[in-house]
Amino acid sequence: MLVSLKWLKDYVDIDLKAEKLAERLTMSGLEVESVKEIFPEFKGVVTAKIISVKPHPNADKLSLCEVTDGSKKYLVVCGAKNIKAGDVVPLAKVGATIPGGYTIKPSVLRGETSEGMLCSEAELAIGEDASGIMQLPKNMKPGKPLEKALDLEDTVFDISITPNRADCLSVIGIAREVAALTGKKIKMPKVNIKEISENIKSLASVKIMDAELCPRYTARMIKKVKIGPSPVWLKTRLEACGMRAINNIVDVTNFVMLEMGQPLHAFDFRYLEKNKIIVRKSKKNEEFISLDGKSRKLADETLLICDGVKPVAIGGIMGGLNSEVKEDTAIILLESAYFNPVSIRRSARKLAMPTEAAFRFERGIDPEGVVKALNRATQLIAELADGSICKNYIDEYPRKIRQVKNIKLRLEQVRKITGTQISAMEVTKILRNLGMRTTRSGKGIYLVTPPAFRVDITREIDLIEEIVRIYGFDRVPASLPNVSVGELLPNSHLKLEDNIRKIMNGMGFSEVINYSFIAPASVDSLLFPPEDERLNVVKINNPLTEEQSVMRPTIITGLLDTLKKNINNGYANLKIFELGCSFLHEKHGKLPKERNMFASLISGKKMENLWDYKSNVDFYDLKGCLENIFYALKLENITFKSDVVDTLLHPGKSCSIFLGDTPLGYMGEIHPHILENIDLKQVVYVFEINTDILEKHLKDEITYRDFSRFPAITRDVAFIVSRDMEADYIFNIISSFKEDLLENVEIFDIYEGKGIPENAKSVGLRFSYRSAERTLTDGEANIIHDKIIRGIVDVTKAKIRGEENQEE
Amino acid sequence: MIEDLQRLENNALAELQEASNQEQILLIRTKYLGRKGLLTGQLRNIAQVPDEQRALFGKRCNEIKLFLTSRIEEELNKQSQNEKENKLLKEKIDVTLPGRAIKYGRIHPITQISNEICSIFSSFGFSIVEGPEIELDYYNFEALNIPKDHPARDMQDTFYIEENIVLRTHTSPVQVRVMEKVKPPVRILSPGKVYRRDSDVSHTPMFHQIEGLLVDEGITFGDLKGILTLFLKKIFGQETKIRFRPSFFPFTEPSAEVDICCVMCRGKGCRVCGQSGWLEILGSGMVDPAVFKYVKYNSEKYTGFAFGLGVERMAMLKYGISDIRLFYENDFRFLRQF
Ligand SMILES: [Zn+2]
Repeated sequence: MLVSLKWLKDYVDIDLKAEKLAERLTMSGLEVESVKEIFPEFKGVVTAKIISVKPHPNADKLSLCEVTDGSKKYLVVCGAKNIKAGDVVPLAKVGATIPGGYTIKPSVLRGETSEGMLCSEAELAIGEDASGIMQLPKNMKPGKPLEKALDLEDTVFDISITPNRADCLSVIGIAREVAALTGKKIKMPKVNIKEISENIKSLASVKIMDAELCPRYTARMIKKVKIGPSPVWLKTRLEACGMRAINNIVDVTNFVMLEMGQPLHAFDFRYLEKNKIIVRKSKKNEEFISLDGKSRKLADETLLICDGVKPVAIGGIMGGLNSEVKEDTAIILLESAYFNPVSIRRSARKLAMPTEAAFRFERGIDPEGVVKALNRATQLIAELADGSICKNYIDEYPRKIRQVKNIKLRLEQVRKITGTQISAMEVTKILRNLGMRTTRSGKGIYLVTPPAFRVDITREIDLIEEIVRIYGFDRVPASLPNVSVGELLPNSHLKLEDNIRKIMNGMGFSEVINYSFIAPASVDSLLFPPEDERLNVVKINNPLTEEQSVMRPTIITGLLDTLKKNINNGYANLKIFELGCSFLHEKHGKLPKERNMFASLISGKKMENLWDYKSNVDFYDLKGCLENIFYALKLENITFKSDVVDTLLHPGKSCSIFLGDTPLGYMGEIHPHILENIDLKQVVYVFEINTDILEKHLKDEITYRDFSRFPAITRDVAFIVSRDMEADYIFNIISSFKEDLLENVEIFDIYEGKGIPENAKSVGLRFSYRSAERTLTDGEANIIHDKIIRGIVDVTKAKIRGEENQEE
Repeated sequence: MIEDLQRLENNALAELQEASNQEQILLIRTKYLGRKGLLTGQLRNIAQVPDEQRALFGKRCNEIKLFLTSRIEEELNKQSQNEKENKLLKEKIDVTLPGRAIKYGRIHPITQISNEICSIFSSFGFSIVEGPEIELDYYNFEALNIPKDHPARDMQDTFYIEENIVLRTHTSPVQVRVMEKVKPPVRILSPGKVYRRDSDVSHTPMFHQIEGLLVDEGITFGDLKGILTLFLKKIFGQETKIRFRPSFFPFTEPSAEVDICCVMCRGKGCRVCGQSGWLEILGSGMVDPAVFKYVKYNSEKYTGFAFGLGVERMAMLKYGISDIRLFYENDFRFLRQF
């Protein structure tokens, strides 16, 4: 909220410098976001007295004026008719600048030299009146800079008001705060109303149909008003606070709203049919044209202000076009009401009309300020529009507005929460300065009634906050809590993620973080089959953009996106990973399924050192990393299976990953169709695994097993098998023998080509045999080895390389 | 005769001196010590040596033979050493070429800062807890004393999935979930992604937050000041000036915004701090009794404080990053700097 320092000074004496005041406010909870000095748009304009006005010898429309600034006389040629000797007017001397960037130069008009220019309000951008020279009060001394004479300079604070401080949405509200902080007295504007004999109650009536939404409605009537522009002082006040001046009536309602925080509305009484105001809820699909000229369809439950026939305003939000104050308006019905905050908030949101009035009503206005503001505005309208105030005011007040009284405050509790030894005297002094009524009801116990405008204070804790806020946070001594040991809540998941990060780092992968929301088109581009669960995306109801409108069902999308962006920037060799959630819609009304995922992507050259490694990454580069992760995490029982393949992947270069029987994820080359779809021209390998499952299988403890100190016997065999026989198939046969002395088997060679039949390959296996108890003899090893080899040959029909021709 | 021997020795030594490779040395060996060699020849002629000189002649011959043999051996060793070294020199590689090791990866700066903060609070005895990113309205708002139709809802512009399901706007709902299950004392820290409908240079619709909560008997606002001061000094340095100023959050009362002296201008006022010399870094406050009521804690017995901070903001201040969106572009030119 913008607040003018000068305006503030109308209600409270301030001897602090602007910056100091800003700091005090900030440190008491009214954060001053900026302090701005404002100056008029002219320079070098002074007050001047007209000595004489003579006709211009060569031009009928011009006159020759002799003016003085008190020390020197000037001859000025002037075209306006509204001046005479003795008038005090603004004189822009030679060298002065006026709005629009004009600099005044000596000029010759029809043979007469002009040593300056007399200005209108409009020419100085003080007001809109361009009809003649601006008339200043006759008693104003000539020679004074106009900005000083008219007091046009000001300082404006931009204060951020937290939602609880409804009472500070007005200049008086801020002034009260300043008074409480500085110990000064608040000076409320004096209201003095002179009524005519005609009584409003015989001219108009108000009926409230819904006391819940409108507990109080008051109104006054001002007759014979003359609509016109507001005086400079009023305009500058409004403009300093960021509001545009419209006419004297509307400006007064805005002025009093800014001053006292009570929104007001002025109706042109001649348009109120049957001289009535009826306050009711809207009917279904009722339509209404508001002041801004827009026709709006109203939801039910919107509070409407109606006359005897039709709606004339949306209660507490905006007036209607049909009853607005116009140039020829003569009778004003002025409304000052209290509306239900929740109802106003709902309606304003539904209508998307966050008006200044709605903003104040929904935060809660001062219930006792309704009539004060009504009278204040009435008096101002009468003064500025020369109106006559009808006798009395209407005050429909069907429901008492809840005000909290006698909140119990314990001094001990104040100390307990704040951690200070604040004295009873200081507590009561602070409360008093804040306008609270405090009575002592026992030792260290007080009953506190906050002023009506402090709608936010209802509980003891609210009082404690007020006390420590004014006491000063900086006076509270910092301490360290004296806590009991309590329970440590384990978090193995974050620990797992951290481990993964470190391992991946060591293998050259960098972490990326992508948005959780993606474009629906990104999901489409992955070509999931219709039964894929990842098509059940979680949609955002009110996304910022289409590009961020669904929650990612897989975290692969972000990695592909990252690759694409980096290729565009000239980085085509990427090794990246991400840890984050994927989301699946489950059922309406239920939280979506969130899965913690770990995904990685590699693409491009194997190494960044192009001088040496020239080959591209392949399946086994990524698989090796994944295996390394499992190895580092000491997870055994991991299998890679080619029979179940994710549709994201190349059917020949992909696999599913299992932990025991539980599917953990998938890895492989991204399907060429998808690459084409997302316009990626290089081969990409990815994996995505579920870390929630991983976490469940982590074993923290390590059990040491003694190792054999006896030598091993190794035997190498190469089998010639069908080209598509998987290594795992052979390994499974081997492990089916459950041979204790077989310590390890590994593949030492895979060969296809010369010497090997077509569609076949040679798989070289190295077996090592070892006993934990003794040195194995060749004979013992051979018996087991032959059994296993025979087993493999039986099942796979493999030939043993080197023996191909010996058989038969 | 003896003189001949002496000359022979001198010649042999001189030739050895001249020899520049193993072959030449071997030739010298054959020439003097070989079966038909000069020294062997002399020995063979011993019979012609006069009697009185013969003993001496024989002795000298042997001496010279031994001496030459050892000298030649020495020279051969030296030569073979040289040749090995020459061979190694020929194997010289360009040591300035870049090494072949896998380049270490980088951890995202957000993770780094988040981990740093978590480890500081872990050392204060806080447990790290997590919760869902998509939340029930109840946990995200209601139980945090932000009822429907309350103006405080304006403070956080929310993404909705359904009427009662939102993308969490802060990680505070995790605290409510924990308090529902665990009796005080509670000391928890909840890091994670949060979402708000906001997008510009200093706001992304997704960002990371860390919120903390401490509940026990006798916890005061002074304790809040103490813990947060200690934390900020650990992160930003011992000399960092810190101020606490009143603010408003629906779930805490009293509430405090915590500012640190601007790290860019050291308090003189600059663009980053909006000329104020201060940077808002933390929101905090004493847990509102209304929140305790939702989780059935006795607010007469227990008090506590809560705080929250934006990780991106911390990272931006610490590393001097001016556009928050960089964190989510994952541009390698950005990532590799951390
Ligand atoms: Zn700064």
